Amino acid sequence: MMYSKVEVPFELFEIQILDATDEDLINISQELGLALNLEEMKRIKDYFKKKGRNPTDIEIQSIGQAWSEHCCYKSSKYYLKKSIFKSKADYVILAIEEDAGVAEFDEDHAYVVALESHNHPSAIEPYGGAATGIGGILRDVLCMGSQPVALIDPLFFGEPATPVEEIPPGTKHPLYLLSGVVSGIRDYGNRVGIPTVSGSLFFDQSYLTNCIVNVGCVGIAPKKNIIRSRAGNAGDIFILAGGFTGRDGIHGVTFASAELHEKSEEESRSAVQLGNPIIKEPIIHSCLELVEKKLITGMKDLGGGGLSCVVGEMAHSAGFGAEVHLEKVPLKEENMAPWEIWVSESQERMMVTVRPKNVDEVLYVFQKWDVPATIIGSVTKEKSLRVYFQDYKIYEMDIDFVTSGVEYCRPYTALKNKVDETDTSSPPENYEKTFIDIISHPNVASREWVIRQYDHEVRASTVLKPLHGRFNFEGPGDASIIKPTKSYKGLSLCVATNPWLVKTNPYWGTASIVDEMIRNLVSVNSVPHSFADCLNFGNPEKEERMGEFVECVEAMGWMVDGIGIPCLSGNVSLYNETVHGSIAPTPSLLGLGLIDDIRNSITSDLKRKGDPIVLIGETKKEFGGSLYSAVTGANGKVPRTSPELLKSYSDAMLESFNEFEVVACHDLSEGGLAVGIAEMCIGSGIGASIDLSGMKEETYTKLFSESNTRWLVEIKESDLSDYLSLFNSKGLNVIVLGATGGNNLTFTDGAFSFSLSVEEIEQAWRTGITRYTG
Amino acid sequence: MENGDNEVHGVIFVDVGEIRVAVFRIEGTNCEDETVKAFSELGIYSEAVHLKQFYSDMIRDRDQRSISDYNCIVFPGGFSAGDYIRAGAIFSSRVKSVLFNDLKDFVIDGYPVLGICNGFQILAELGMLPGFDEDKPIGTVEMALSINDSNKFECRPSLLKLENKEKCVFTKTLRKNIVMFPVAHAEGKVTFPMGREEEYVDRLRVNDQIVFRYVDDHGDYASYPWNPNGSLYNIAGLCNVTGNVFGLMPHPERAFYEYHGGDGRFIFESVIEYLKKI
Repeated sequence: MMYSKVEVPFELFEIQILDATDEDLINISQELGLALNLEEMKRIKDYFKKKGRNPTDIEIQSIGQAWSEHCCYKSSKYYLKKSIFKSKADYVILAIEEDAGVAEFDEDHAYVVALESHNHPSAIEPYGGAATGIGGILRDVLCMGSQPVALIDPLFFGEPATPVEEIPPGTKHPLYLLSGVVSGIRDYGNRVGIPTVSGSLFFDQSYLTNCIVNVGCVGIAPKKNIIRSRAGNAGDIFILAGGFTGRDGIHGVTFASAELHEKSEEESRSAVQLGNPIIKEPIIHSCLELVEKKLITGMKDLGGGGLSCVVGEMAHSAGFGAEVHLEKVPLKEENMAPWEIWVSESQERMMVTVRPKNVDEVLYVFQKWDVPATIIGSVTKEKSLRVYFQDYKIYEMDIDFVTSGVEYCRPYTALKNKVDETDTSSPPENYEKTFIDIISHPNVASREWVIRQYDHEVRASTVLKPLHGRFNFEGPGDASIIKPTKSYKGLSLCVATNPWLVKTNPYWGTASIVDEMIRNLVSVNSVPHSFADCLNFGNPEKEERMGEFVECVEAMGWMVDGIGIPCLSGNVSLYNETVHGSIAPTPSLLGLGLIDDIRNSITSDLKRKGDPIVLIGETKKEFGGSLYSAVTGANGKVPRTSPELLKSYSDAMLESFNEFEVVACHDLSEGGLAVGIAEMCIGSGIGASIDLSGMKEETYTKLFSESNTRWLVEIKESDLSDYLSLFNSKGLNVIVLGATGGNNLTFTDGAFSFSLSVEEIEQAWRTGITRYTG
Repeated sequence: MENGDNEVHGVIFVDVGEIRVAVFRIEGTNCEDETVKAFSELGIYSEAVHLKQFYSDMIRDRDQRSISDYNCIVFPGGFSAGDYIRAGAIFSSRVKSVLFNDLKDFVIDGYPVLGICNGFQILAELGMLPGFDEDKPIGTVEMALSINDSNKFECRPSLLKLENKEKCVFTKTLRKNIVMFPVAHAEGKVTFPMGREEEYVDRLRVNDQIVFRYVDDHGDYASYPWNPNGSLYNIAGLCNVTGNVFGLMPHPERAFYEYHGGDGRFIFESVIEYLKKI
């Protein structure tokens, strides 16, 4: 018998760990759903040996939560510290330590950012999984004392055209998942009244059995209101506010820390929580009122690990302990065992710590907003965590032991020498056809079907929307801009991601997406300021997967440190793998920039006829992981870059915006120059004549290569020579490609030429996704 | 007092400092902040007021309110109570149960009521729009804002042609024929009792109650996406028979500033002008 019931009037078991063999320990971990390995189980055994007793179920469950990959980053921490976390800046107020990062917005305000994955829940139950992802990320930003002002969501699915008979058992069709995830984000985000202003959508067959749903949120607060996720003083009271606690969402974090399999749905449905935006909305108001009135000493949301993590972390990071009376927690259902109450991840709950004298006032504020709030315990001087249920002590452990977690330096395979970048590209047989294939490809085509389902304008502070150009027939923008305070200063937001590049070459692919993030922010005339990352990878216990991860973070660290922008917040999601294979390595970046005056922002759509079009940057034959390679079945070198190069080009671009009237700007990414200019035409309905003869390389390289650090701009004819001089004087590549005008987009290169009407291009682009979604 | 008409008509001006606007909120209303801001920007005292502040015992004295504290009421956009039943249904039934008489008198006395998006849905559910009977400003439900023809939530710009000649107190200062306000809703299709649509449209036209209709970028009445929901007769906004209750699906508060690229400001300016003379 490994378990024995304790003589109390409720469900409580003692786990017979002291006499357990190694095999027993593994069985215990599996049977209780702890997702801990033998090493970790032994550490628990040793601890309790010293205590001279066996642990209770609630104690061992609590450790399972705290030590999960999801909560303690045991596989990734070592490498992250060596790379991404190195980049620092003096305007950072809080980075990495808590649920969200904080940086200075202006003298009086700070912005807050968080980004995380909600992958496994979304694969099992796309609507609820994505919706609770939004709920969770909002709480992460709220618990810093800030008003959420924007949501951002990078999404990754299997190919939309996958025939139903090719869907493996236990897996849902990509279109079902896409529709469910978008509906979940829509219904939660729109209801709670926070605009979804940016995102990305990427299709690749590696996501067929494990879709990726990342959710990000940005908030704004007066600097003085920023509050920490830690208790204030010994004697402070813990008040639990918001939704009731139920059996939904038990073992969410441990479920996220293992591979998905065919039976995941049956077994783990209960790990997916249920969200309620209409409880959340008043929680936001009430928490912000408490912050404004200085009534609380600490605030933290209940996410992964539920009460067990939030109480432990709030007390631990403040250097205190805690005492909790679990029977006080309001429940959704009867007869929950104490351990279930302790680890439940039921949504819409916040924990605040309050000085005793302010308790009544805090309860009044919650009551005014109809938010249930209950006193459940207090902060203690002794650094131990004690939990009571109906006057029985059922849990007593040292807080350092529970929350310190473990850290691994996992072995990995260096992939650098294994990357195949042999160029097998050749000119297309039919340029028009290849171009239409590219512009209508689901990874390039219009995202309008998704974007318009999200309210991207609620709060009335979205200045630059996700789509740029003429009303109702806009083209794609590089970044969105919100105006979060009274001043004209704005915050730009963008997503950068490209799993094909990263899959082909994890190091240079990752460097490329950092390049893209900076390009996007610069495009709208904002100065890159910080970023958050969500690193989605396969099983880290496999050395190749770990190799992808290590190279990704090394490249990212090299780039961001070189450019000097800090990582404010991040999330690592491992085990995105099933028996059918691992996902493509998927780092997704949320870039943030600042613009002094939002009225100077630049959009991507062409504005007038007869303006010169100028290309900035260098085009090389770099087809590795490109859209051209995907469409034509080729391979090649993944685009290179360097922080020095990127910095000098970005600075020059921003300088050029300052000195000249640049009326449109767009960065070049998937599909290269051909797609870039086409998208600028689509946003305005104005055509362009592009003469490629001044560029080096072959015609198809000029058109479709995805070389980094490039932008297209539309400027005034009278500024042209001065504009070129600005770049030439710095030794940077710049070339006039032609002029705007007409109804066609025409490319010529010596004797070569092809031309398509903007209308035809637009039609292909607009229907690239709706042909599947309807 | 900048307007010289007052003496001619013998109207007494209210000082702008005395105008008080209430933007109603319950759980799930979510456009109250920007709506309050639009009024404040024009120098008007405006506050978001929770419905509970009008009736609940638990509210402390300093937070208690009465309808007579205000000269203008706004039902803002959002998803009041989640709109899980039918858009606006829960909010309107709460209002009916606690504020019916006060609100009725408020409208009969000529005070303005505005409903934006979810607020329009609430006014329809309250039977305040189309509002044909001036003695019964809160009547039976005669219209619905049904699910968009596209069957989707639609967040997009909309162009609106001003159709109102003189009745609506929220559009009098508009000097343009066509304006841009964005829409963002899943249920915005103006619908009247089946088989009687023509009768309703005729009555609204005769009464000068149609305020805005959706048009395209040439100013012509057009279908999707210009009419984002499939609204009957392209109706985007309506007022009651006395012109002081106005509901519209598009969001003027999101088109308030120049950088919004819209013309929403005049909705707020118009009602302030009206309030100065009431």
